[in-house]
Amino acid sequence: MKRLTIAFLILTLLGSAALAPADSKINVVATIPDLADMARHIGGDLVEVSSIATGVENIHAVPMKPSFATLLNQADVLLLLGLEAEHAFLPALLEASRNPRILRDAPGYIDCSTYVEVLEVPTRIDRALGDQHPMGNPHYNLDPVSMKEAARAIADGLGRNYPEHTAVFKKNLDAYLAQLDAAIARWEKEAAPLKGKKLVSYHPDLIYFAERFGMEAFGTIELRAGIPPTPSHIEELEESMRKNKVDIVVRELHYPAGLAETVAQATGAKLVELPAFVGGVPEAKDYISFVDYNLHTMLKAVQSS
Amino acid sequence: MGRVPRRVGMAIAVLALGVAALPRGVRAQSEELRRELEAMRKQLKQMQEQLERQQELIDKLSAEKQAPAAPPAVAAKPPEAKTAEAAAADEERLKREVTENLMKRLRPQLAAANKTFPSQFNPAIGLIVDTVGSYGSKTRGDFELRAAELGISASVDPFARGYAIITGSNQGGFDVEEAAIVTTSLPYNLTFKGGRFFADFGRLSKFHDHDLPFVNRPVVLDRFVQGESQADGVELNYLVPMKQYLTLTGGWYNKMGAENDRVDNTVSRDLSQFTYLGRAATFFNLSDANSVDLGGSWAYTPEVKIDDGASRTLAGIDLTYRYSPLSQASYRGLVWGTELLYNQEDRPVGGFPTTSAAAATSLERALGVPALAAQTRGSPFTLADPTSAAATPLVFKRRDTTGLYTYLEARLTQRYYPGFLFDYAQDLDHVAGYTTAYSPYLTLWLSEFNRLRLQYTRLEQPGLHENEFFLQWTVILGSHVHSFRDR
Repeated sequence: MKRLTIAFLILTLLGSAALAPADSKINVVATIPDLADMARHIGGDLVEVSSIATGVENIHAVPMKPSFATLLNQADVLLLLGLEAEHAFLPALLEASRNPRILRDAPGYIDCSTYVEVLEVPTRIDRALGDQHPMGNPHYNLDPVSMKEAARAIADGLGRNYPEHTAVFKKNLDAYLAQLDAAIARWEKEAAPLKGKKLVSYHPDLIYFAERFGMEAFGTIELRAGIPPTPSHIEELEESMRKNKVDIVVRELHYPAGLAETVAQATGAKLVELPAFVGGVPEAKDYISFVDYNLHTMLKAVQSS
Repeated sequence: MGRVPRRVGMAIAVLALGVAALPRGVRAQSEELRRELEAMRKQLKQMQEQLERQQELIDKLSAEKQAPAAPPAVAAKPPEAKTAEAAAADEERLKREVTENLMKRLRPQLAAANKTFPSQFNPAIGLIVDTVGSYGSKTRGDFELRAAELGISASVDPFARGYAIITGSNQGGFDVEEAAIVTTSLPYNLTFKGGRFFADFGRLSKFHDHDLPFVNRPVVLDRFVQGESQADGVELNYLVPMKQYLTLTGGWYNKMGAENDRVDNTVSRDLSQFTYLGRAATFFNLSDANSVDLGGSWAYTPEVKIDDGASRTLAGIDLTYRYSPLSQASYRGLVWGTELLYNQEDRPVGGFPTTSAAAATSLERALGVPALAAQTRGSPFTLADPTSAAATPLVFKRRDTTGLYTYLEARLTQRYYPGFLFDYAQDLDHVAGYTTAYSPYLTLWLSEFNRLRLQYTRLEQPGLHENEFFLQWTVILGSHVHSFRDR
């Protein structure tokens, strides 16, 4: 028993030493790289930021790796997309991480959807309607205006946890929002050819993008959110797309290629392949270049159709 | 002319403020309100246009009226002041009307939301229905409601959460599979658990039947652990604070094994008759897509009454390799899982006498072995009966036994997961040699909550060769959380 106690103490000491922070930076863990990028801008030199997802994943199927539990165990604050987007991995990882600082309702749990105007809030919750998100569609990260609200939530959340740095966060936020506003003004001008164009995506995650840039989200390849398509659904979708002259089929890069391509070919729509997050393609290095990539890819497709 | 749009703008701002002030809990209702507000916005726009037209008309008429003789400068002031006053009054009235209208619509919904608040404290509830149809060359066919499993869970307070799994089956009655309290805010990365739960032994021993990757529990787990690793007791788990994932568990239980009838769960016992557990588990991230989980478990009972008071040691190593390409994780992947178990205890020479036919039948059925054949042959699966053991003096001998299972499962699409399971387990009493089983299977995920599975099993042991076919249908109703334990 004595030997066991000694071994336990040694392990604790070794572990603590291994994890002793090299400096006193705020350890920020974000669920997606989009929020991580914003946190770097807003937190500046005060923060050390890491992301659970790399950007190529489907947010609803991020593998639940134990190594994420140790990452979260050391986090001072957690940034999440919210609206139950991370339901497949985050609740279980939070439990495994044993970090009361970032549990739901703790100050370190920063839900970036707080100020976002949420679309597609269901009026009826029923699994017959697919994998619903009771709080609304969580894919607002594809809309730069909604992400301004996320940036505000990050700055407020960091300020709540570290009031002594509030002024720095505010200053950095203003500078970042100025950059984002300039980009948004440019994107809104560039997006003019997209107005009124109809799109079908694999999953309903282009809603915010479509709304922002005047496109119409016509339907999804999935039968319902999260439910794989059936042959009869594809048949009906194709017929309806032809009738309504849908211009674009979007394959989010984490969904299989074959079916989206078939649907596009069968209906004469243009196939567009888009990342859903920063890091989803090498060109999308940060949030601004991510929106740039998505918008320009979409524009190229519309202009060539 | 600019006043009317300003009034409309103010009205919309008041509406927006009203909506922004709503708590998150009524967001769904506010979405409906948002739509209504949108309709009101359209109405207001129409009003605005109408007012603008009227204003134009008034301006035009006024101009015509004023044209013949310009009024004196002093006389021009009072109408202007009057117009400003009227506009302010209009604005005030519009604000009041909008607020009243908004509140009129909000009050019933807020009241309705308030009525549901007491139920907000109710735990999350889910029900899992697991049914299996089987047919074997010797066991013949059967449809079995294997489990209707009610799961409830909620936070207890800021310091703990609780959960319970209550199962009913066609065996009759209800059984509390788990009912446990887990701490949530202990310092030093510690978690303490108490009640009835699945002890932290190995990997698949902690899975409920319906969560297994195949239809039946591997033979080695059923024989050595005896069902799920269910235990009444306490457990302390420690996440070592370092970058490499490492958890250590210590457990203290009455006994381990949901179907372990060799130890009575309901009587008090000496400290030497409890079961003690130690486990270490770690994880290696070989690359973004490749990873390995590795664990070692050790359960020790210093004194097992039925084994003539000798000790029992059950140890196991579990290894799980996963290939999960990040960008295709929902429709591509591979899992290789294996567990090797070692059991050491005193067993009667020739095995325990088998008089508890009903209990034996139940276990045989769980293993997919014909009960009749087992009883007549002196099966390795038979249960001990303490009474008969006491009646006939038995000669005990120390027995070392091993067993393993290994399976490979591929994820070909979002729906289809084919796999193959191999089982090997020695007889605990060294009477009936060893058992092997080969089980190819195909899982079809209709959705995350609706699953069909087909399995064929070829079971082989001395004197018994059996072919069995299974069709399993499992659905989940209500709340379901992706748990870390079942990964």
